[in-house]
Amino acid sequence: MTADIKLLDPREVKVIGGGIDTVDITIGRNRYFNVTPRRPFPLSHPEVIVFYDQDENEIGVIEDYRKLDRESRKKLEKVLNTIYYIPRIKRIEKIEQKEKRYVWTIVLEKVGKTEIETWSKCVKIMPDGKIFVKDIKGQIFTVDISKLDQKSRTFLGTMR
Amino acid sequence: MKLFPEKLPDEIREKLRDGEEVIALAELGKSPCETPGVLVLTNKRVMVRAKDGEEELALDSIKEAYLKTYLNVCVLAVRLDGSVKSLAVFSKSRFKAAEKLATLINNIVIGKVPYSILKKSIIAKRVPVRKRLFRELFARLKPAWPLIAVSLVFAVLLRILDLVPPYLMKILVDEVLVPKAHLEKLYFLLGMLLAIFSCQILLNVVKGYVNTKLNLKISRTIRYQLFHKLQRAGIIYHERFTSGGLYARIFDDVGRLQSLVSNTLERVVINASAIAFIGALLVTLSVKLTLIVLLPIPVTFLAAFIFSKFAPIYYYRQWRKWSNVLSAVSDSLAAILPLKVYRREREYEQRFLRNHREYEQSQISTYKLEQAFWPPVWLVFVASSLLVWLIGGLDVINGALSLGSLIAFATYMWEFYNPIFGLIQSFSELQRMKVSLERVFELLELEEEEGGSYSGKILGDIAYENVWFTYDGIHYALKGVTFKIKAGQCVGIVGPSGAGKTTMAKLLLRLYKPQFGIVKIDGVDLEDYDLEALRKQVAIVLQDTPLFNASVAENILVGKPEASPLEVMEATKLAAAHEFIMKLPEAYDTEVGEKGAKLSGGEKARIALAAALIRNPRILVLDEPTAMLDSLTEDRVMEALERATENRTTIIIAHRLSTLKFADKIVVMDGGKIVEQGSHKQLLERGGLYAKLWSSQLKALTRQEAIALDR
Repeated sequence: MTADIKLLDPREVKVIGGGIDTVDITIGRNRYFNVTPRRPFPLSHPEVIVFYDQDENEIGVIEDYRKLDRESRKKLEKVLNTIYYIPRIKRIEKIEQKEKRYVWTIVLEKVGKTEIETWSKCVKIMPDGKIFVKDIKGQIFTVDISKLDQKSRTFLGTMR
Repeated sequence: MKLFPEKLPDEIREKLRDGEEVIALAELGKSPCETPGVLVLTNKRVMVRAKDGEEELALDSIKEAYLKTYLNVCVLAVRLDGSVKSLAVFSKSRFKAAEKLATLINNIVIGKVPYSILKKSIIAKRVPVRKRLFRELFARLKPAWPLIAVSLVFAVLLRILDLVPPYLMKILVDEVLVPKAHLEKLYFLLGMLLAIFSCQILLNVVKGYVNTKLNLKISRTIRYQLFHKLQRAGIIYHERFTSGGLYARIFDDVGRLQSLVSNTLERVVINASAIAFIGALLVTLSVKLTLIVLLPIPVTFLAAFIFSKFAPIYYYRQWRKWSNVLSAVSDSLAAILPLKVYRREREYEQRFLRNHREYEQSQISTYKLEQAFWPPVWLVFVASSLLVWLIGGLDVINGALSLGSLIAFATYMWEFYNPIFGLIQSFSELQRMKVSLERVFELLELEEEEGGSYSGKILGDIAYENVWFTYDGIHYALKGVTFKIKAGQCVGIVGPSGAGKTTMAKLLLRLYKPQFGIVKIDGVDLEDYDLEALRKQVAIVLQDTPLFNASVAENILVGKPEASPLEVMEATKLAAAHEFIMKLPEAYDTEVGEKGAKLSGGEKARIALAAALIRNPRILVLDEPTAMLDSLTEDRVMEALERATENRTTIIIAHRLSTLKFADKIVVMDGGKIVEQGSHKQLLERGGLYAKLWSSQLKALTRQEAIALDR
């Protein structure tokens, strides 16, 4: 295939600063400001990053941002953790069916006890075993099954 | 109408000349609208034998066959040199048979389809007659045999335990209650009864568990075999069935087979053994009364014989009506969008109701049939039992028989009759299940796709050599197509609808086999290719490729599951899809919905194109790649396609001729044949079909667009 993918060498990319959802980077001798990092595969391959300039033109793709130098990675992750934050479900207390919807009473990391509503098909298991739950508004949650208690696992099992 | 009939009436056989074979035999006069007689189509002539005489026409003299339709009938007519001849009248209900005859004649006289190809393609469509269905079913259920055996043993044990209490009652009446003595015997008998009832409860629990496991195993085994077969069977077989019919087979029919094995078989074994066991007991009690008990048996056999002649017709009709109900549901769900747009909801609701009413009607007819047979038979049983009471009662009064023996006999008599009723019921069920079994075996016996062993790297030379192909054995989609494409060339195929363009593409992937002729890639017959190797290197993008209910990335990875994220993005960039995907809420991880419902037609088309390109196929077939796109997106996709066609052989099937501007060669098809081929310029200069199609498309464009295109 001969598509115009601009693959960036992580050794040449340095993150020199950042805002809420943008970073400033250098690629070799070129400097770019207010660059938006986007994850093309936010759930299945969060390590892949595409950089867009202020005019939404694609600058290039990093196959695995974890190969950036430590400082750059830290700065980039700070932005990514804001714009790609996925709340983690720590515990599932109950799931009740209300007509076609399911009301989950859950305990979320950093938030505490809350309720979410989902459709019946709401759990997505990725090939690498990661589990995501999507509510009816489109909000995505992550679940680390190894850290769930038995009761929560049983509830999750009924929705898979 | 019979095609290539194996048996011929003597008077027809005598008429045949040397080398003459019957292609079709249609009996006329089945409806009052038709004149009684017979129409015979052979490889040399058409013969019509009616009351008022005979007529025959040599096929060489016929120019064309056609139908003239009237209020309640249609007439099969032929055009001869300068005249027209009407051959036979068909009622409207047999319109399809008449149409088939006309097509067959036209295939020979106009299409010049060789007789050998015609025969091969029609005979290939025949469904073989299946015999020994029940035996085959049990062979397929081999993994469940141990469970079936255990379940039957439990059932027989339970039945034996059922028989003991009446015998203990006889002892209780004759030896304890009537003489009013032996109190210790009363306690003993009650203790025995308690033990027997406890055993029954325990055995029932265990048997229930075994039966549940057995049911699950049977349904899984057969449903898996069916699903496996549907996955592996050639696409041509999928087109033979409706989705409703397939669901009915996989779910309803398999459910009935499950009941056949776990319930009916058990009942047959128990009832048969109970009849033998109780029959022996009755003889020991009174031979004379036993003979009276046996009186209804011949009547039952006679009724069962007659019933078996009628029942399959009713049960099959009931199955077909149910399949229509399922089709009404699945068809409307599959076409929900156009259905809403054109406000056809009510029509589909009416169709559902109508089909359901027809199903109810068929069920009631079946019930009526069953009731016409079995209640009179039961009446004979009742009469026989009353006779036993009359003669047995007289014997008790005369002291020839004890009261206990008569009560025991009467109890056992019904224990003898009940299994006979059970067998009658099982017989009805077996007739019903036979229909289900036939439906299931029809699928299980489908031919699986088979490839050869050649798995070499494809360079991309393609050759069609005198290829003939028909989907239904009657109408030919391709008629002797011959042409070559060199490796790396981009060839456009154009022509009116039904010209055979898509069929040509499908043959290249070996989705179908031609009835005659050869398709070769790099000089190797497609029959010799390993299917996996072939389909890895040849990709097709259909006009309306359905997407899976999964993420965008997963839909693209269908083409190459092991591809990296970068490869996915490369493919989407080539297909001009990357930009819109990145704007989706979860980018490549966004779920596309059922059949891609969350995407537009153009977006779906580009994802399908990316799924094809990710495999980096040596041969790429694009069937109307831009049909679903707006003109702006079309430009972008065309630009992408131009790049995608580099270094690979590409076939583009298109209605929009502008799509083919960069093609090295254009093949023009009409009526299953290639009518022209050459470059865009050469074809325009020739002034044939391509030039006509081109000018009609130019007329539809604005003046400016036309000038730009014509450059």
